[in-house]
Amino acid sequence: MNRRRLWTLVRREIQATFRDPFTVTILVSVPIGALLLFGFILATDVKHLALGLYDGSRSAASRRLAADLAANKTFDITAYPSSDAIGDALGSGAISVGVVIPADFDDDTRRSRPGAEPPRIQVLYDGGEAALAGNAEAFVNSLLQASAPALGDQARDPRRSVVPGAERGGGGIGVVARAVFNPGLEGTPFMVAGTFGFVLSFLTTLITAVSIVNEKLAGTFEQLQVTPATSIEILLGKLLPLGAVFAFDVALMVVIAGLVLRVWPEGSALLFVGVSAYYVLISLALGLIFSATSATAAEAVQKTVLFSIPLVQLSGFLFPVRNMPTVVQWLANLLPATHYIKISRAIYLRAEGLGSMMPDLLFLFVCGVGLIYYARRVIEARA
Amino acid sequence: MSRWRTFVSNVAAIAYKEAAIIRHDKAFLSMVLIQPWMMLLIASYVLSNKPADVPWAVLDQSHTALSRRLVQSVQATGYFLRPQTETSYESARERLREGKALVVLVIPQSLARDAERGEPRVQLLLDGSDPLSAARIGGYVSQVASSFQLRISAPVALDPDRPIRSAGPIDIRQRFWFNPTLADREFFLAALAGMLLTNLCLSGTSLGLVGERESGTYEQMLALPIRPIEIVLGKLVPFVGISYVLMLFAIVVPGLCFGIWPHGSWLALFWTTLPFVLASLAIGVLVSTLVETSAQAVFITVFFALPSFVLSGVMMPYQFMPHGVREVGAVLPLRWYQIACRRIIERGGGIIETAGPTLAMFAIFAVLLALIRWRMKPRLG
Repeated sequence: MNRRRLWTLVRREIQATFRDPFTVTILVSVPIGALLLFGFILATDVKHLALGLYDGSRSAASRRLAADLAANKTFDITAYPSSDAIGDALGSGAISVGVVIPADFDDDTRRSRPGAEPPRIQVLYDGGEAALAGNAEAFVNSLLQASAPALGDQARDPRRSVVPGAERGGGGIGVVARAVFNPGLEGTPFMVAGTFGFVLSFLTTLITAVSIVNEKLAGTFEQLQVTPATSIEILLGKLLPLGAVFAFDVALMVVIAGLVLRVWPEGSALLFVGVSAYYVLISLALGLIFSATSATAAEAVQKTVLFSIPLVQLSGFLFPVRNMPTVVQWLANLLPATHYIKISRAIYLRAEGLGSMMPDLLFLFVCGVGLIYYARRVIEARA
Repeated sequence: MSRWRTFVSNVAAIAYKEAAIIRHDKAFLSMVLIQPWMMLLIASYVLSNKPADVPWAVLDQSHTALSRRLVQSVQATGYFLRPQTETSYESARERLREGKALVVLVIPQSLARDAERGEPRVQLLLDGSDPLSAARIGGYVSQVASSFQLRISAPVALDPDRPIRSAGPIDIRQRFWFNPTLADREFFLAALAGMLLTNLCLSGTSLGLVGERESGTYEQMLALPIRPIEIVLGKLVPFVGISYVLMLFAIVVPGLCFGIWPHGSWLALFWTTLPFVLASLAIGVLVSTLVETSAQAVFITVFFALPSFVLSGVMMPYQFMPHGVREVGAVLPLRWYQIACRRIIERGGGIIETAGPTLAMFAIFAVLLALIRWRMKPRLG
């Protein structure tokens, strides 16, 4: 390997990249756009969910229950005149949750002594939006359970001491839940850490895939191959400048995530940038392989897209790998992106140290060496 | 009259030519053939919000029969792996940090005594770095605990496919309509057509038009006695055909494989697909007027399609998104199409129930047409 030759190739690549305003725009705007988009998109604290309420009882107790449901802004409550109207609204998608308070609700509350039947209400969810219904269920349940003892107290003799557990015939353990690392359970940090994986897997592969094919179409790739430059020099001449550009992208994203979204890495930023830079090399090598094995730009792009769509879904960027069937989990774990996203979340959110990330780092290392070696073979074969 | 006839015959001629090209385009055909199956597998097996195999740990300071029973009943929900045993807060926290556990259940020493006094409490430490899972898992554990029988030990068999019903001071009778087991599969498969058609329409048209410009055949066509709008329409016709084939695939195959047939009217499904396909194709055409090379067209379509899957609410309910982002998503035809599809397939809607989304898509299409007319001039060179 000749250092001067390599430097010439690197300079050539940098000039070629920056001469094309479209590529430069993409390189800057896609990371920022993705970051802002995905950073804002996920709000786990469901707010203003449409809830339809039919109050058949029209009593103090039922009004109190409705007020409790409306209290913390999770639900926007609309009153409906009958339970059929609730059903229709649910079907048309106007509401996500329907609560039906029967006419005898208040009587039931007053009779709520130990042993008596508890007051009954009906809650209907729009299961069509499965994830939403699952979350709404937890909210409704906790709100209703929280308001229930109060309803009972109001009806009962106020002087009697109330012992909730004993009252209910020995049911229930209170749970004090506390989220560590992200006490507010905010969606933004989770998505920001994942977006690095998304951008670095997708954009890098696509850009390299297109770049080599374009050179091949223009004929400059063959000119390169007849120069004294060796295949490893050509490879590095492609990888290093693009790698540097993406390392800059990583730094840019870290800063923007910090300034705009207020998400700074909990762990070592240096470690994060280091791992990211290495991961960029892996994706670039993958892009090189795609492009070197394709005849036209369209083919290279199609390979990349076909590969990248499952990559986005399988890597755990949006859906936890844990939730997938076992066979799919094996597949997911074969993708470098899965491990990179795991690492980036570990560093970004939990300030994890090197020790526990070793298996993932090792996998990435092996992947990188293998892919770069293979990319070199492919380029050599073409020479 | 004769002008109209020329128009139709011109469009038909271009459509014929375009269909012939598509028939010989191996790369495109393989994409059209492979992608539906890939997306089907992904939508039915990969995408899932339902917690499964959750790693968790128990820090049991009470060591009583009661605490062991509580751990068992949490385990019995079917969402969790076997619990790991922790001995101290520090090790529990470390376990969370390493990601080896998502939840740590801390049972205080005084649990049995508290239960006697009627105020039993346990603590739950959740890994907040994955907030969606944390919120949901926390909810499950709370429900198990709140319906936990302190004295009578009646083992309740819980079906992991059914959400836990709670029994508290108020008897809440809850039902999940349209999808009783809250299966994610139905949610995602109902939007499968939307995902497939977005990919097809965007990449097909934008690549096709830019490709012709690159190879110079667009200029040849401009030299023909044909207006540009006829060229564009002619190029779109075959895609409308393929779109309907893909839509049928997205409806019939989930029906055959998983028994998920549309509950609503098929007619409505066909009708709402039309404005969606038109609007998506129009986006492709618009992209083609904005870019120079096919590589650029691909970049723009890819980076438009992927976020639009998320923004439109195909991947996760748009109700989760904060206001502002939600409204941005409303500009996408896919948002309205997935609403319409889910309404028809899951909730048994018909043409009347989906009139709103359909109108919205027609409106988007109209705006796009205006934009295209403004951008597209017969350009040479």
